[in-house]
Amino acid sequence: MAVIEIDGLTKLYGEARGIEDVTFAVEAGEVFGLLGPNGAGKTTAIRTLLDLLHPTSGRARIFGLDSQRDSVAIRARLGNLPGDFGYGRQTSGRAALHLLARLRGIDGLGRAELLAERFRANLDRPLGQLSRGNRQKVGLILSCFHSPELLILDEPTSGLDPLMQEEFMALVAEERERGCTVVISSHELDEVERVCDRVGIVRAGRLIAVERVAELLGKARRTVTLELAEPGDLGDLRALPNVTDLGVLDGRVSFKVSGDLDAAIKAIAHRHVIDMELTHPTLEEVFLTYYREGEGGG
Amino acid sequence: MIAQQRALVAAHLSDRRRSLLAWGLPLGLMSAFIVAIFPSVEDALSKAIADYPPALKEAFGIGGLTNVEQYLQAEMLSLIIPLALGYLAVRAVASGLSGAAETGRLDVLLSSPVSRRRLVAASFIATAVELSAVLILTGLITAAASVLSGAGLSAGPAVAGFANVWPLALVFAGLGIVATGFSLRTSVVTGSVAGVLVAMYVIDLIGRLDPGLSGVRYVSVFKYYGNAIEDGIEPLAFCGVTLFAILLAALGAWLFDRRDLAG
Repeated sequence: MAVIEIDGLTKLYGEARGIEDVTFAVEAGEVFGLLGPNGAGKTTAIRTLLDLLHPTSGRARIFGLDSQRDSVAIRARLGNLPGDFGYGRQTSGRAALHLLARLRGIDGLGRAELLAERFRANLDRPLGQLSRGNRQKVGLILSCFHSPELLILDEPTSGLDPLMQEEFMALVAEERERGCTVVISSHELDEVERVCDRVGIVRAGRLIAVERVAELLGKARRTVTLELAEPGDLGDLRALPNVTDLGVLDGRVSFKVSGDLDAAIKAIAHRHVIDMELTHPTLEEVFLTYYREGEGGG
Repeated sequence: MIAQQRALVAAHLSDRRRSLLAWGLPLGLMSAFIVAIFPSVEDALSKAIADYPPALKEAFGIGGLTNVEQYLQAEMLSLIIPLALGYLAVRAVASGLSGAAETGRLDVLLSSPVSRRRLVAASFIATAVELSAVLILTGLITAAASVLSGAGLSAGPAVAGFANVWPLALVFAGLGIVATGFSLRTSVVTGSVAGVLVAMYVIDLIGRLDPGLSGVRYVSVFKYYGNAIEDGIEPLAFCGVTLFAILLAALGAWLFDRRDLAG
Protein backbone atom coordinates (compact mmCIF):
# COMPACT_ATOMS: atom_id res chain seq x y z
CA MET A 1 0.00 0.00 0.00
CA ALA A 2 1.33 3.43 -0.93
CA VAL A 3 1.78 5.86 1.94
CA ILE A 4 2.60 8.73 -0.41
CA GLU A 5 1.10 9.13 -3.88
CA ILE A 6 2.14 12.15 -5.90
CA ASP A 7 0.54 12.74 -9.27
CA GLY A 8 1.72 15.42 -11.67
CA LEU A 9 2.69 17.77 -8.84
CA THR A 10 3.83 21.13 -10.15
CA LYS A 11 4.88 24.20 -8.24
CA LEU A 12 5.97 27.27 -10.16
CA TYR A 13 7.11 30.54 -8.58
CA GLY A 14 6.16 33.02 -11.27
CA GLU A 15 8.96 32.81 -13.80
CA ALA A 16 11.19 30.82 -11.46
CA ARG A 17 11.27 27.05 -11.56
CA GLY A 18 10.03 24.96 -8.65
CA ILE A 19 9.01 21.43 -9.57
CA GLU A 20 7.26 20.27 -12.69
CA ASP A 21 4.98 17.29 -13.23
CA VAL A 22 6.47 15.16 -10.44
CA THR A 23 4.85 11.74 -10.07
CA PHE A 24 5.90 8.92 -7.77
CA ALA A 25 4.66 6.74 -4.93
CA VAL A 26 6.29 5.59 -1.72
CA GLU A 27 5.21 2.25 -0.30
CA ALA A 28 4.57 1.59 3.40
CA GLY A 29 7.74 0.66 5.28
CA GLU A 30 9.97 1.84 2.46
CA VAL A 31 12.96 4.17 2.76
CA PHE A 32 12.75 6.45 -0.24
CA GLY A 33 15.45 8.91 -1.25
CA LEU A 34 15.03 12.11 -3.20
CA LEU A 35 18.41 12.65 -4.77
CA GLY A 36 19.50 15.76 -6.56
CA PRO A 37 21.92 18.70 -6.43
CA ASN A 38 21.13 21.78 -4.39
CA GLY A 39 18.36 23.79 -6.03
CA ALA A 40 17.02 20.80 -7.97
CA GLY A 41 13.58 21.03 -6.37
CA LYS A 42 13.79 18.41 -3.59
CA THR A 43 12.84 20.86 -0.84
CA THR A 44 10.07 22.36 -2.96
CA ALA A 45 8.65 18.85 -3.48
CA ILE A 46 8.70 18.17 0.27
CA ARG A 47 7.23 21.56 1.20
CA THR A 48 4.44 21.10 -1.32
CA LEU A 49 3.77 17.65 0.08
CA LEU A 50 3.51 19.14 3.58
CA ASP A 51 1.14 21.90 2.40
CA LEU A 52 3.66 24.61 3.25
CA LEU A 53 3.54 25.46 -0.46
CA HIS A 54 0.34 25.23 -2.45
CA PRO A 55 0.76 23.34 -5.73
CA THR A 56 0.22 25.09 -9.04
CA SER A 57 -1.25 21.86 -10.37
CA GLY A 58 -1.32 18.16 -9.62
CA ARG A 59 -2.13 16.50 -6.34
CA ALA A 60 -0.61 14.51 -3.52
CA ARG A 61 -2.10 12.01 -1.12
CA ILE A 62 -0.53 10.85 2.13
CA PHE A 63 -2.06 7.92 4.06
CA GLY A 64 -4.80 8.11 1.41
CA LEU A 65 -5.68 11.66 2.50
CA ASP A 66 -5.51 14.82 0.43
CA SER A 67 -2.29 16.67 1.27
CA GLN A 68 -4.01 20.08 1.23
CA ARG A 69 -7.51 19.44 2.54
CA ASP A 70 -6.48 16.93 5.22
CA SER A 71 -3.12 18.46 6.04
CA VAL A 72 -3.68 18.64 9.82
CA ALA A 73 -4.78 14.98 10.04
CA ILE A 74 -1.76 13.94 7.98
CA ARG A 75 0.67 15.90 10.13
CA ALA A 76 -0.64 14.13 13.24
CA ARG A 77 0.93 10.96 11.84
CA LEU A 78 4.24 12.21 10.50
CA GLY A 79 7.51 13.72 11.63
CA ASN A 80 9.42 16.27 9.59
CA LEU A 81 12.94 17.62 9.73
CA PRO A 82 12.98 20.79 7.61
CA GLY A 83 16.06 21.57 5.54
CA ASP A 84 18.45 23.97 7.27
CA PHE A 85 16.66 23.35 10.58
CA GLY A 86 16.10 26.34 12.87
CA TYR A 87 13.71 27.19 15.65
CA GLY A 88 14.80 30.42 17.32
CA ARG A 89 17.94 31.38 19.17
CA GLN A 90 16.58 31.67 22.71
CA THR A 91 14.58 28.45 22.90
CA SER A 92 16.10 25.22 24.18
CA GLY A 93 15.46 21.88 22.53
CA ARG A 94 13.60 20.75 25.63
CA ALA A 95 11.24 23.73 25.53
CA ALA A 96 10.57 23.07 21.85
CA LEU A 97 9.93 19.39 22.61
CA HIS A 98 7.51 20.25 25.41
CA LEU A 99 5.54 22.49 23.07
CA LEU A 100 5.46 19.93 20.24
CA ALA A 101 4.44 17.19 22.69
CA ARG A 102 1.55 19.32 23.93
CA LEU A 103 0.51 20.11 20.35
CA ARG A 104 0.46 16.38 19.63
CA GLY A 105 -1.39 15.59 22.85
CA ILE A 106 1.50 13.50 24.17
CA ASP A 107 2.22 13.24 27.90
CA GLY A 108 5.94 13.58 28.52
CA LEU A 109 8.59 13.69 25.82
CA GLY A 110 8.20 10.25 24.27
CA ARG A 111 11.60 8.79 23.42
CA ALA A 112 13.30 12.19 23.23
CA GLU A 113 15.62 11.53 26.19
CA LEU A 114 16.79 8.23 24.71
CA LEU A 115 17.45 9.87 21.36
CA ALA A 116 19.26 12.77 23.03
CA GLU A 117 21.53 10.33 24.82
CA ARG A 118 22.12 8.40 21.63
CA PHE A 119 22.98 11.49 19.56
CA ARG A 120 24.71 13.21 22.49
CA ALA A 121 22.39 16.15 22.00
CA ASN A 122 22.13 18.95 24.54
CA LEU A 123 18.43 19.69 25.01
CA ASP A 124 18.92 22.33 27.68
CA ARG A 125 21.06 24.93 25.95
CA PRO A 126 19.39 27.62 23.86
CA LEU A 127 19.54 26.58 20.21
CA GLY A 128 21.34 29.82 19.32
CA GLN A 129 24.29 28.66 21.43
CA LEU A 130 24.62 25.32 19.63
CA SER A 131 26.80 24.55 16.62
CA ARG A 132 25.07 23.67 13.36
CA GLY A 133 25.63 19.96 13.88
CA ASN A 134 24.32 20.02 17.44
CA ARG A 135 21.28 22.00 16.32
CA GLN A 136 20.68 19.42 13.62
CA LYS A 137 20.68 16.67 16.26
CA VAL A 138 17.92 18.52 18.14
CA GLY A 139 16.02 18.87 14.85
CA LEU A 140 16.27 15.11 14.29
CA ILE A 141 14.93 14.45 17.80
CA LEU A 142 12.04 16.89 17.27
CA SER A 143 11.14 15.09 14.07
CA CYS A 144 10.94 11.59 15.47
CA PHE A 145 10.50 11.73 19.27
CA HIS A 146 6.82 10.78 18.87
CA SER A 147 7.51 7.63 16.80
CA PRO A 148 5.61 8.76 13.68
CA GLU A 149 4.32 6.51 10.91
CA LEU A 150 6.05 8.62 8.27
CA LEU A 151 9.34 10.49 8.60
CA ILE A 152 10.28 13.19 6.11
CA LEU A 153 13.88 14.31 6.46
CA ASP A 154 15.32 17.10 4.33
CA GLU A 155 19.13 16.86 4.17
CA PRO A 156 19.19 15.08 7.57
CA THR A 157 22.95 14.57 7.93
CA SER A 158 23.80 18.17 7.12
CA GLY A 159 26.33 19.33 9.72
CA LEU A 160 26.58 15.96 11.49
CA ASP A 161 30.04 14.52 12.10
CA PRO A 162 30.81 11.06 10.61
CA LEU A 163 30.10 9.30 13.90
CA MET A 164 26.67 10.87 14.18
CA GLN A 165 26.01 10.18 10.50
CA GLU A 166 26.56 6.50 11.30
CA GLU A 167 24.17 6.78 14.23
CA PHE A 168 21.63 8.41 11.93
CA MET A 169 21.93 5.56 9.41
CA ALA A 170 21.34 3.08 12.22
CA LEU A 171 18.30 5.05 13.39
CA VAL A 172 16.78 5.02 9.90
CA ALA A 173 17.29 1.26 9.72
CA GLU A 174 15.54 0.87 13.08
CA GLU A 175 12.69 3.11 11.99
CA ARG A 176 12.19 0.89 8.96
CA GLU A 177 12.20 -2.16 11.24
CA ARG A 178 9.51 -0.47 13.31
CA GLY A 179 7.40 -0.16 10.15
CA CYS A 180 7.95 3.56 9.65
CA THR A 181 8.07 4.90 6.10
CA VAL A 182 10.97 7.27 5.56
CA VAL A 183 11.58 9.89 2.87
CA ILE A 184 15.06 11.38 2.79
CA SER A 185 16.19 14.19 0.55
CA SER A 186 19.90 14.39 -0.09
CA HIS A 187 22.55 15.47 -2.54
CA GLU A 188 24.92 12.74 -1.28
CA LEU A 189 24.80 9.56 -3.32
CA ASP A 190 26.63 7.60 -0.61
CA GLU A 191 24.00 8.53 1.94
CA VAL A 192 20.99 7.39 -0.08
CA GLU A 193 22.86 4.34 -1.30
CA ARG A 194 23.33 3.17 2.27
CA VAL A 195 19.86 3.67 3.67
CA CYS A 196 17.35 3.86 0.83
CA ASP A 197 15.42 1.11 -0.90
CA ARG A 198 14.50 3.29 -3.87
CA VAL A 199 15.63 6.63 -5.12
CA GLY A 200 13.94 9.37 -7.10
CA ILE A 201 16.40 11.48 -9.03
CA VAL A 202 15.48 15.14 -9.27
CA ARG A 203 17.12 17.57 -11.59
CA ALA A 204 16.02 21.02 -12.71
CA GLY A 205 12.64 20.57 -11.05
CA ARG A 206 11.84 17.30 -12.77
CA LEU A 207 11.92 13.74 -11.52
CA ILE A 208 14.08 12.09 -14.16
CA ALA A 209 14.04 8.55 -12.76
CA VAL A 210 12.84 6.39 -9.90
CA GLU A 211 15.02 3.33 -9.36
CA ARG A 212 15.89 0.73 -6.79
CA VAL A 213 19.28 1.66 -5.36
CA ALA A 214 20.93 -1.50 -6.68
CA GLU A 215 19.69 -0.75 -10.19
CA LEU A 216 20.78 2.85 -9.94
CA LEU A 217 24.31 1.85 -9.02
CA GLY A 218 24.27 -0.86 -11.63
CA LYS A 219 23.43 1.58 -14.39
CA ALA A 220 25.90 4.19 -13.29
CA ARG A 221 29.48 3.66 -14.34
CA ARG A 222 31.88 2.87 -11.54
CA THR A 223 35.61 3.37 -11.88
CA VAL A 224 37.80 0.31 -11.28
CA THR A 225 41.52 0.83 -10.69
CA LEU A 226 43.80 -2.21 -10.58
CA GLU A 227 47.42 -2.59 -9.69
CA LEU A 228 48.60 -5.63 -11.59
CA ALA A 229 51.96 -7.42 -11.28
CA GLU A 230 52.04 -7.67 -15.09
CA PRO A 231 49.37 -5.79 -17.07
CA GLY A 232 50.04 -7.70 -20.32
CA ASP A 233 47.38 -7.81 -23.00
CA LEU A 234 44.05 -6.35 -21.86
CA GLY A 235 42.13 -7.32 -24.99
CA ASP A 236 39.74 -9.61 -23.11
CA LEU A 237 38.79 -6.74 -20.80
CA ARG A 238 38.53 -4.25 -23.65
CA ALA A 239 36.19 -6.61 -25.49
CA LEU A 240 33.54 -6.49 -22.77
CA PRO A 241 30.53 -4.39 -23.81
CA ASN A 242 30.06 -2.79 -20.41
CA VAL A 243 33.71 -1.69 -20.04
CA THR A 244 34.83 1.72 -21.30
CA ASP A 245 37.64 4.22 -20.89
CA LEU A 246 40.25 1.50 -20.40
CA GLY A 247 43.74 2.87 -19.86
CA VAL A 248 47.11 1.99 -18.34
CA LEU A 249 49.25 4.48 -16.48
CA ASP A 250 52.33 3.70 -14.38
CA GLY A 251 51.40 0.05 -14.20
CA ARG A 252 47.90 0.83 -12.96
CA VAL A 253 44.95 -0.18 -15.08
CA SER A 254 41.78 1.81 -14.84
CA PHE A 255 38.44 1.47 -16.59
CA LYS A 256 34.79 2.30 -16.14
CA VAL A 257 32.21 -0.42 -15.85
CA SER A 258 28.44 -0.25 -15.90
CA GLY A 259 25.96 -2.89 -14.74
CA ASP A 260 27.13 -6.27 -13.54
CA LEU A 261 30.78 -6.50 -12.44
CA ASP A 262 30.99 -10.26 -12.90
CA ALA A 263 32.41 -10.36 -16.46
CA ALA A 264 35.06 -7.76 -15.68
CA ILE A 265 36.17 -9.60 -12.53
CA LYS A 266 36.42 -12.89 -14.45
CA ALA A 267 38.41 -11.20 -17.20
CA ILE A 268 41.09 -10.14 -14.77
CA ALA A 269 40.90 -13.17 -12.49
CA HIS A 270 43.81 -15.03 -14.16
CA ARG A 271 46.17 -12.09 -13.51
CA HIS A 272 48.14 -11.36 -10.35
CA VAL A 273 46.14 -8.52 -8.75
CA ILE A 274 48.13 -6.55 -6.15
CA ASP A 275 45.46 -3.98 -5.33
CA MET A 276 41.99 -3.05 -6.50
CA GLU A 277 39.89 0.05 -5.92
CA LEU A 278 36.24 0.56 -6.84
CA THR A 279 35.00 4.13 -6.94
CA HIS A 280 31.31 4.87 -7.03
CA PRO A 281 30.13 7.52 -9.43
CA THR A 282 29.56 11.06 -8.33
CA LEU A 283 26.06 12.44 -8.42
CA GLU A 284 26.86 14.23 -11.68
CA GLU A 285 28.02 10.97 -13.22
CA VAL A 286 24.76 9.30 -12.17
CA PHE A 287 22.83 12.11 -13.82
CA LEU A 288 24.92 11.77 -16.97
CA THR A 289 24.00 8.09 -17.07
CA TYR A 290 20.32 8.99 -17.11
CA TYR A 291 20.77 11.74 -19.64
CA ARG A 292 22.65 9.37 -21.91
CA GLU A 293 19.80 6.89 -21.56
CA GLY A 294 17.28 9.61 -22.37
CA GLU A 295 19.21 10.70 -25.45
CA GLY A 296 19.63 7.08 -26.56
CA GLY A 297 15.93 6.52 -26.32
CA GLY A 298 15.30 9.60 -28.47
CA MET B 1 -8.03 21.92 20.45
CA ILE B 2 -8.21 24.28 23.43
CA ALA B 3 -5.12 22.61 24.89
CA GLN B 4 -3.28 23.26 21.61
CA GLN B 5 -4.34 26.90 21.62
CA ARG B 6 -3.31 27.31 25.25
CA ALA B 7 0.08 25.71 24.56
CA LEU B 8 0.73 28.01 21.59
CA VAL B 9 -0.30 31.14 23.49
CA ALA B 10 1.83 30.16 26.50
CA ALA B 11 4.85 29.50 24.26
CA HIS B 12 4.38 32.83 22.49
CA LEU B 13 4.14 34.68 25.81
CA SER B 14 7.17 32.85 27.16
CA ASP B 15 9.18 33.97 24.12
CA ARG B 16 7.99 37.54 24.59
CA ARG B 17 8.39 37.71 28.39
CA ARG B 18 11.22 40.24 28.17
CA SER B 19 9.02 42.69 26.30
CA LEU B 20 6.86 43.16 29.39
CA LEU B 21 9.75 44.86 31.16
CA ALA B 22 11.28 46.32 28.00
CA TRP B 23 8.06 48.20 27.19
CA GLY B 24 6.11 48.36 30.46
CA LEU B 25 8.99 49.70 32.54
CA PRO B 26 9.98 52.70 30.37
CA LEU B 27 6.36 53.63 29.66
CA GLY B 28 5.53 53.23 33.35
CA LEU B 29 8.50 55.34 34.42
CA MET B 30 7.63 58.07 31.91
CA SER B 31 4.03 58.14 33.13
CA ALA B 32 5.23 58.06 36.73
CA PHE B 33 7.50 61.04 36.06
CA ILE B 34 4.61 63.00 34.50
CA VAL B 35 2.36 62.25 37.47
CA ALA B 36 5.06 62.92 40.06
CA ILE B 37 6.03 66.35 38.72
CA PHE B 38 2.45 67.51 38.29
CA PRO B 39 2.05 69.10 41.78
CA SER B 40 5.14 71.25 41.22
CA VAL B 41 4.24 72.41 37.68
CA GLU B 42 0.48 72.68 38.09
CA ASP B 43 0.25 76.47 38.38
CA ALA B 44 2.67 77.24 35.59
CA LEU B 45 0.89 74.78 33.30
CA SER B 46 -2.52 76.27 33.92
CA LYS B 47 -1.26 79.70 32.90
CA ALA B 48 0.54 78.38 29.84
CA ILE B 49 -2.36 76.31 28.62
CA ALA B 50 -4.75 79.20 28.84
CA ASP B 51 -2.81 80.83 25.96
CA TYR B 52 -2.97 77.72 23.68
CA PRO B 53 -5.23 78.04 20.59
CA PRO B 54 -8.51 76.14 21.16
CA ALA B 55 -7.94 74.07 18.01
CA LEU B 56 -4.56 72.90 19.26
CA LYS B 57 -6.04 71.94 22.63
CA GLU B 58 -8.78 70.04 20.83
CA ALA B 59 -6.27 68.36 18.55
CA PHE B 60 -4.21 67.00 21.40
CA GLY B 61 -7.20 66.25 23.62
CA ILE B 62 -6.26 68.88 26.15
CA GLY B 63 -9.43 70.10 27.82
CA GLY B 64 -7.30 71.96 30.28
CA LEU B 65 -4.43 71.04 32.56
CA THR B 66 -6.07 71.68 35.85
CA ASN B 67 -5.70 68.18 37.26
CA VAL B 68 -3.22 65.30 37.05
CA GLU B 69 -5.55 63.16 34.93
CA GLN B 70 -5.66 65.82 32.20
CA TYR B 71 -1.88 66.18 32.39
CA LEU B 72 -1.39 62.40 32.04
CA GLN B 73 -3.79 62.38 29.06
CA ALA B 74 -2.00 65.24 27.33
CA GLU B 75 1.54 63.99 27.93
CA MET B 76 1.17 60.22 27.65
CA LEU B 77 -2.22 58.89 26.65
CA SER B 78 -2.88 61.11 23.65
CA LEU B 79 0.31 60.27 21.76
CA ILE B 80 3.18 58.33 23.32
CA ILE B 81 1.39 55.31 24.79
CA PRO B 82 -1.00 54.71 21.85
CA LEU B 83 1.81 54.92 19.31
CA ALA B 84 4.18 52.81 21.44
CA LEU B 85 1.55 50.15 22.13
CA GLY B 86 0.44 50.11 18.49
CA TYR B 87 4.03 49.46 17.43
CA LEU B 88 4.48 46.84 20.19
CA ALA B 89 1.35 45.06 18.94
CA VAL B 90 2.74 44.76 15.41
CA ARG B 91 6.09 43.54 16.66
CA ALA B 92 4.46 40.99 18.95
CA VAL B 93 2.19 39.54 16.30
CA ALA B 94 4.99 39.56 13.71
CA SER B 95 7.33 37.67 16.03
CA GLY B 96 4.85 34.79 16.14
CA LEU B 97 4.35 34.65 12.37
CA SER B 98 6.90 36.32 10.07
CA GLY B 99 9.57 36.13 12.78
CA ALA B 100 8.83 32.43 13.23
CA ALA B 101 9.07 31.94 9.47
CA GLU B 102 12.48 33.63 9.41
CA THR B 103 13.90 31.46 12.20
CA GLY B 104 12.47 28.22 10.79
CA ARG B 105 10.17 27.76 13.77
CA LEU B 106 7.05 28.01 11.62
CA ASP B 107 8.12 24.95 9.61
CA VAL B 108 8.57 22.95 12.81
CA LEU B 109 5.24 24.03 14.29
CA LEU B 110 3.44 23.32 11.03
CA SER B 111 4.92 19.82 11.00
CA SER B 112 2.66 19.11 13.97
CA PRO B 113 -1.12 18.81 13.73
CA VAL B 114 -1.80 22.53 14.03
CA SER B 115 -3.66 24.55 11.43
CA ARG B 116 -2.29 27.85 10.22
CA ARG B 117 -5.43 29.59 11.46
CA ARG B 118 -4.81 28.26 14.95
CA LEU B 119 -1.27 29.63 14.84
CA VAL B 120 -2.58 33.03 13.77
CA ALA B 121 -5.23 33.00 16.49
CA ALA B 122 -2.63 32.09 19.11
CA SER B 123 -0.39 34.92 17.97
CA PHE B 124 -3.29 37.40 18.14
CA ILE B 125 -4.49 36.21 21.57
CA ALA B 126 -0.95 36.26 22.97
CA THR B 127 -0.51 39.80 21.67
CA ALA B 128 -3.76 40.87 23.34
CA VAL B 129 -2.51 39.39 26.64
CA GLU B 130 0.91 41.01 26.21
CA LEU B 131 -0.68 44.41 25.57
CA SER B 132 -2.82 44.01 28.69
CA ALA B 133 0.22 43.08 30.78
CA VAL B 134 2.23 46.08 29.54
CA LEU B 135 -0.70 48.43 30.21
CA ILE B 136 -1.23 46.98 33.69
CA LEU B 137 2.47 47.35 34.55
CA THR B 138 2.49 50.91 33.18
CA GLY B 139 -0.63 51.72 35.17
CA LEU B 140 0.74 50.19 38.39
CA ILE B 141 4.00 52.13 38.19
CA THR B 142 2.03 55.31 37.49
CA ALA B 143 -0.29 54.66 40.45
CA ALA B 144 2.70 54.03 42.74
CA ALA B 145 4.25 57.34 41.64
CA SER B 146 0.96 59.12 42.33
CA VAL B 147 0.80 57.71 45.86
CA LEU B 148 4.45 58.53 46.59
CA SER B 149 4.26 62.08 45.18
CA GLY B 150 0.80 62.83 46.50
CA ALA B 151 -0.35 63.78 43.01
CA GLY B 152 -3.83 62.39 43.71
CA LEU B 153 -4.41 60.48 40.47
CA SER B 154 -7.93 59.04 40.58
CA ALA B 155 -7.98 55.29 40.09
CA GLY B 156 -11.16 55.04 37.99
CA PRO B 157 -10.26 57.56 35.29
CA ALA B 158 -6.66 56.32 35.17
CA VAL B 159 -7.82 52.72 34.62
CA ALA B 160 -10.20 53.89 31.91
CA GLY B 161 -7.42 55.91 30.24
CA PHE B 162 -4.98 53.01 30.11
CA ALA B 163 -7.61 50.40 29.22
CA ASN B 164 -8.80 52.49 26.29
CA VAL B 165 -5.42 52.05 24.57
CA TRP B 166 -5.90 48.27 24.40
CA PRO B 167 -8.42 47.98 21.50
CA LEU B 168 -6.61 50.69 19.56
CA ALA B 169 -3.30 48.83 19.78
CA LEU B 170 -5.05 45.56 18.96
CA VAL B 171 -6.13 47.00 15.61
CA PHE B 172 -2.46 47.24 14.65
CA ALA B 173 -1.96 43.62 15.69
CA GLY B 174 -4.80 42.78 13.29
CA LEU B 175 -3.17 44.87 10.56
CA GLY B 176 0.11 43.08 11.28
CA ILE B 177 -1.57 39.74 10.61
CA VAL B 178 -3.03 41.09 7.36
CA ALA B 179 0.49 42.21 6.39
CA THR B 180 1.87 38.68 6.99
CA GLY B 181 -0.64 37.53 4.40
CA PHE B 182 1.49 39.44 1.89
CA SER B 183 5.00 39.22 3.30
CA LEU B 184 6.87 36.97 5.71
CA ARG B 185 9.67 39.47 6.22
CA THR B 186 9.40 40.98 9.69
CA SER B 187 10.98 44.25 8.57
CA VAL B 188 8.33 44.63 5.85
CA VAL B 189 5.46 43.75 8.21
CA THR B 190 6.52 46.03 11.07
CA GLY B 191 7.63 48.81 8.73
CA SER B 192 4.43 48.90 6.70
CA VAL B 193 2.08 48.72 9.70
CA ALA B 194 4.13 51.26 11.66
CA GLY B 195 3.71 53.54 8.63
CA VAL B 196 -0.06 53.01 8.74
CA LEU B 197 -0.03 53.70 12.50
CA VAL B 198 1.72 57.06 12.07
CA ALA B 199 -0.37 57.93 9.01
CA MET B 200 -3.61 57.24 10.91
CA TYR B 201 -2.45 59.41 13.79
CA VAL B 202 -1.50 62.28 11.46
CA ILE B 203 -4.77 62.00 9.49
CA ASP B 204 -6.76 62.16 12.72
CA LEU B 205 -4.71 65.12 13.90
CA ILE B 206 -5.30 67.00 10.63
CA GLY B 207 -9.02 66.29 10.85
CA ARG B 208 -9.13 67.65 14.36
CA LEU B 209 -7.06 70.75 13.57
CA ASP B 210 -9.11 71.69 10.50
CA PRO B 211 -12.89 71.22 10.89
CA GLY B 212 -13.18 71.38 7.11
CA LEU B 213 -11.18 68.18 6.87
CA SER B 214 -12.88 66.38 9.75
CA GLY B 215 -14.30 63.82 7.32
CA VAL B 216 -10.86 62.28 6.78
CA ARG B 217 -10.86 61.16 10.40
CA TYR B 218 -13.18 58.30 9.47
CA VAL B 219 -10.28 56.43 7.84
CA SER B 220 -8.31 56.57 11.07
CA VAL B 221 -8.96 54.33 14.05
CA PHE B 222 -7.75 57.18 16.28
CA LYS B 223 -11.10 58.90 15.62
CA TYR B 224 -12.69 56.32 17.91
CA TYR B 225 -10.00 56.54 20.59
CA GLY B 226 -11.37 59.54 22.47
CA ASN B 227 -10.30 60.77 25.88
CA ALA B 228 -11.31 58.04 28.30
CA ILE B 229 -9.47 59.49 31.27
CA GLU B 230 -11.85 62.46 31.24
CA ASP B 231 -14.94 61.12 29.47
CA GLY B 232 -14.77 57.49 30.54
CA ILE B 233 -14.71 54.53 28.16
CA GLU B 234 -17.22 54.80 25.35
CA PRO B 235 -18.54 51.21 25.26
CA LEU B 236 -19.63 51.32 21.63
CA ALA B 237 -16.28 52.62 20.44
CA PHE B 238 -14.36 50.22 22.70
CA CYS B 239 -16.32 47.18 21.49
CA GLY B 240 -16.44 48.38 17.88
CA VAL B 241 -12.69 48.91 17.68
CA THR B 242 -12.06 45.54 19.36
CA LEU B 243 -14.40 43.86 16.88
CA PHE B 244 -12.64 45.63 14.01
CA ALA B 245 -9.30 44.29 15.29
CA ILE B 246 -10.73 40.76 15.43
CA LEU B 247 -12.10 41.09 11.89
CA LEU B 248 -8.71 42.24 10.65
CA ALA B 249 -7.09 39.24 12.36
CA ALA B 250 -9.65 36.93 10.73
CA LEU B 251 -8.92 38.47 7.32
CA GLY B 252 -5.21 38.07 8.00
CA ALA B 253 -5.72 34.43 8.98
CA TRP B 254 -7.55 33.79 5.71
CA LEU B 255 -4.73 35.40 3.72
CA PHE B 256 -2.10 33.53 5.73
CA ASP B 257 -3.89 30.26 5.07
CA ARG B 258 -3.79 30.83 1.34
CA ARG B 259 -0.20 31.93 0.99
CA ASP B 260 2.95 29.89 0.40
CA LEU B 261 5.36 29.53 3.28
CA ALA B 262 8.61 29.57 1.37
CA GLY B 263 11.59 28.04 3.13
